[in-house]
Amino acid sequence: MNRQKKTLSNLSFRLTDSSDAPYLTKWLSDPEVLHWFPMLTQPEVADAIRIWIGYSRLGSGLTVEHNNVPCGMATLYIQAYEKLKHTCLFSIIIQKDKRGCGIGHLLMEKLIKLAQEKFKISILHLEVYEGNPARKMYAKLGFAEFGRQERFIKGKNTYLAKVFMQKRLI
Amino acid sequence: MAETEEELDIRYTHITDETYLRGWLMNPELQHFLPVSNEQEVHNTLQCWLGFCRYSASLTATLNGTPCGIATLFLMPYQKVSHHCLFKIMVDPMHQKKGVGNSLLKNVIHLAKIYFKLEEIYTEVVEDNPLIHLLRKYDFYQFAEQKDYVKENDRYYARLLFGISLI
Repeated sequence: MNRQKKTLSNLSFRLTDSSDAPYLTKWLSDPEVLHWFPMLTQPEVADAIRIWIGYSRLGSGLTVEHNNVPCGMATLYIQAYEKLKHTCLFSIIIQKDKRGCGIGHLLMEKLIKLAQEKFKISILHLEVYEGNPARKMYAKLGFAEFGRQERFIKGKNTYLAKVFMQKRLI
Repeated sequence: MAETEEELDIRYTHITDETYLRGWLMNPELQHFLPVSNEQEVHNTLQCWLGFCRYSASLTATLNGTPCGIATLFLMPYQKVSHHCLFKIMVDPMHQKKGVGNSLLKNVIHLAKIYFKLEEIYTEVVEDNPLIHLLRKYDFYQFAEQKDYVKENDRYYARLLFGISLI
């Protein structure tokens, strides 16, 4: 409990910019973290980061800092099609040693506000892999499952399902 | 009917099929079943769709040598997910109900299974897309339904995701 209070008191939020890319690279270089993402190799990670940071040009990414150092990011993948612009997929990542302190929850609340107020999004959705502990947080925030794709991720003779969840913002 | 079937052929998509694909994507009747609604969106979709020609991952149906439909495998770029992929099918409205979609679907499943060794392929459709009947005929199973995903003329439509195991 004390840990949570201490961490939360030193948090600040801002829009993501291209200077945040090295933090994503560092966090995603940890195999334990990468386990919950579709990328595997370094070029794949670089490609995903390029896409992630690319959305900062639209002002749709948020970075959370602890003591002025980035410790998490979330981005809205703003839809390019008019018919789908009321919906949006997002990604989130929290530095491994800063998890369990409520930072992800706070970052999600800020992201939902950004989605609603700046981009007029009414349906926010996500894709999470089976067994990811973050799923509990999404459920707590009101995201409900609307589909499940078995055998989505293939490891060494193992598979993980992908779970689809969404939340109505209006 | 027999005559039409004799004229139907399936070949790999050529980059020169773009003109036909653009025409179908601009067709208001087909646009209802697609995310596109303007010229810029059609242009972007074409770039993405035809980009898979270079991997021989796209098939074109022709009637008397003229393109009348397309089916494309959107191959996944990452290793952990490269055992499956999304695919899309489109048939010229002038040539629907002639078995074109059926032939494209059969051939794209074969391409995915035999050439790309995929374990599963899937597609996403708007809830009232007639392709759903064909998917069910081929034993596709539905694994997701996202309500209100598409907004068109102030009306909302669900998107449905259908997959088929190839192993």
